[in-house]
Amino acid sequence: MSQSKRGSSQNRRSQMVVDDDDEGSFTQPSLSQVQRARDNFTTVQVDRKVAEVVQFILIKDQRKIPIRRTDIVKHVMKEYRSLYLDIMKRADRTFEQVFGLKLVEIDSKNHIYILTNRLEQSLEEPISMCPANPKTGLLFVILGIIFMKGGSVKETLVWNTLKKLRVDVGERHEDFGDVKKTISEEFVRQKYLEYVRIPHTEPLEFEFRWGQRAESEVSKLKMLQFIAELHDQEPQSWTQQYREATSAENTQR
Amino acid sequence: MSESKRKTSRSIQEEAANGAVGRSRPERSADTGEEDEGAGPSGIHEEDDDPAQRREIRSQYRDLINSVQQNREDMLNPANNKLFDVLEEANKLFANVRQAREAALDAQLLVLATDLGREKASQLHAEGSAFDPSAFAEHLLSFMGLNRLEEEEDGDANLGGYMPPDAWQRLSKKAQYCFKTAPSFHYMFGSFLAEPPPPRQRVERQRKAPSKEAKRIMPTQLKKMEESHQEATEKEVERILGCLRSYFADDPQSPILYYEFVVDPNSFSRTVENIFHTSFLIRDGLARVYLNSNKLPCIAPVEEGELEPGGANARHQCVISISPATWKEIIEAFDIKEALIPSPKVLSQEG
Repeated sequence: MSQSKRGSSQNRRSQMVVDDDDEGSFTQPSLSQVQRARDNFTTVQVDRKVAEVVQFILIKDQRKIPIRRTDIVKHVMKEYRSLYLDIMKRADRTFEQVFGLKLVEIDSKNHIYILTNRLEQSLEEPISMCPANPKTGLLFVILGIIFMKGGSVKETLVWNTLKKLRVDVGERHEDFGDVKKTISEEFVRQKYLEYVRIPHTEPLEFEFRWGQRAESEVSKLKMLQFIAELHDQEPQSWTQQYREATSAENTQR
Repeated sequence: MSESKRKTSRSIQEEAANGAVGRSRPERSADTGEEDEGAGPSGIHEEDDDPAQRREIRSQYRDLINSVQQNREDMLNPANNKLFDVLEEANKLFANVRQAREAALDAQLLVLATDLGREKASQLHAEGSAFDPSAFAEHLLSFMGLNRLEEEEDGDANLGGYMPPDAWQRLSKKAQYCFKTAPSFHYMFGSFLAEPPPPRQRVERQRKAPSKEAKRIMPTQLKKMEESHQEATEKEVERILGCLRSYFADDPQSPILYYEFVVDPNSFSRTVENIFHTSFLIRDGLARVYLNSNKLPCIAPVEEGELEPGGANARHQCVISISPATWKEIIEAFDIKEALIPSPKVLSQEG
């Protein structure tokens, strides 16, 4: 409902530009518009806007819920919207050079962004002073099963495996709280997982797949290496998975 | 795109899993097709429309579907051929199916069987090792530091062993190597992190507390008023007893005239009050009233030892009535100049 309200007000404001975007909040500005905007704003003004966008994204990223272009435009860019591409490009450079992060558009259709870490993680030393978030372990287990099982698994398989790990879906867990909610809602909203209905099942059944964030944030090769290490086997012994992991690694670079 | 891919792969796997059955299906449908043709354009034979037989077929289908749904895990076991048996049975049932309603059930069963077939096929890995989630879980448990020898207090029989509290931390530490997660902010002095919740609670409590207390104050105030009233009577009675005792102690020989004692020449109401309070002393046996030689009532305190158990028999009751007129008469008759019982206000001022 707020969606439609926002849409209409945005439309009114950008009436001069041809609206070909579903969201209505952002339209690709024409070259002349960009040029005019560049002339309108001083370098200092644009610099400040870039800093604002960087800060907005950094703060939004705390909860690991992907950031939508609509929100960036609506809350930060405002009248600078015609310089969107310029500003985002410069914001990305700031993330890269100052923070060692990378701004990734995980969904180029709906324009959704996440931040990933550009720096190689070292195995020896703890990455931060903070103790590791136990949810990372939970995610690893679920993503690992999905990957090793060829891309999608029934939710019952996930629940059964977790039960073996003393995590009962029906009960509150010390680290994860409401387990089902954490997995099928929080992880899904963060785009680590996709939780979809399997067609033609009675009663309803759901399956898990990798979400878009997982695809760009998680290294399949490293995951396979760790799983192999746990099994005391070579990663190559899972031929199919190894092939997928190495090819994914090459495309990600 | 992935949808269509899945569909085709499913049908391929289905063929692989069904094997001989897959082949027998078209034959069978050809058979029934011939039979239908034999039935002529009118469509349904009379024998085909036997409700009892149709019901029987449907119930058999439902049983079969139920058993497939309930024994799913069992049927997926690569060691047995139960899926094949189910399909054989369905084939036998289908030979008698004549109408859409039964055929729909057959289709439902086929969907189930296909799904099972796909899953069975996915267990078959042509190349490389198969991935067994149970084995994975076991390895993870070992990595997380499960102590299999120690029994957990409420542990199930099959979930024995003790999990250290940092088990998931341990896994996360290693697993985050796989994640290129952007680090989120954290406070340099971590204690800040835990601070916010308590103040919020405190604010709520403060807000609620006064309103509750305000509600509670009303009844306590009322109670106190009642109490103070009772207490006032009690105190007054005690005070008067004190006066009586001190007068008696000053001169035990001369009797204290009752009217001289209770009457306050300056206040009729004080006099009434004094009579009222003194009556308690009499009732409780702390003072006694007797007539002197002039037949005038006198009052004297009763000493502890003096109280006789049998004294109760000698008790009398009387009602004293007094009006402002009699009050004045008494003052004149006894020539009372001042109150023997000082008014409590004066007393409290002195105190």
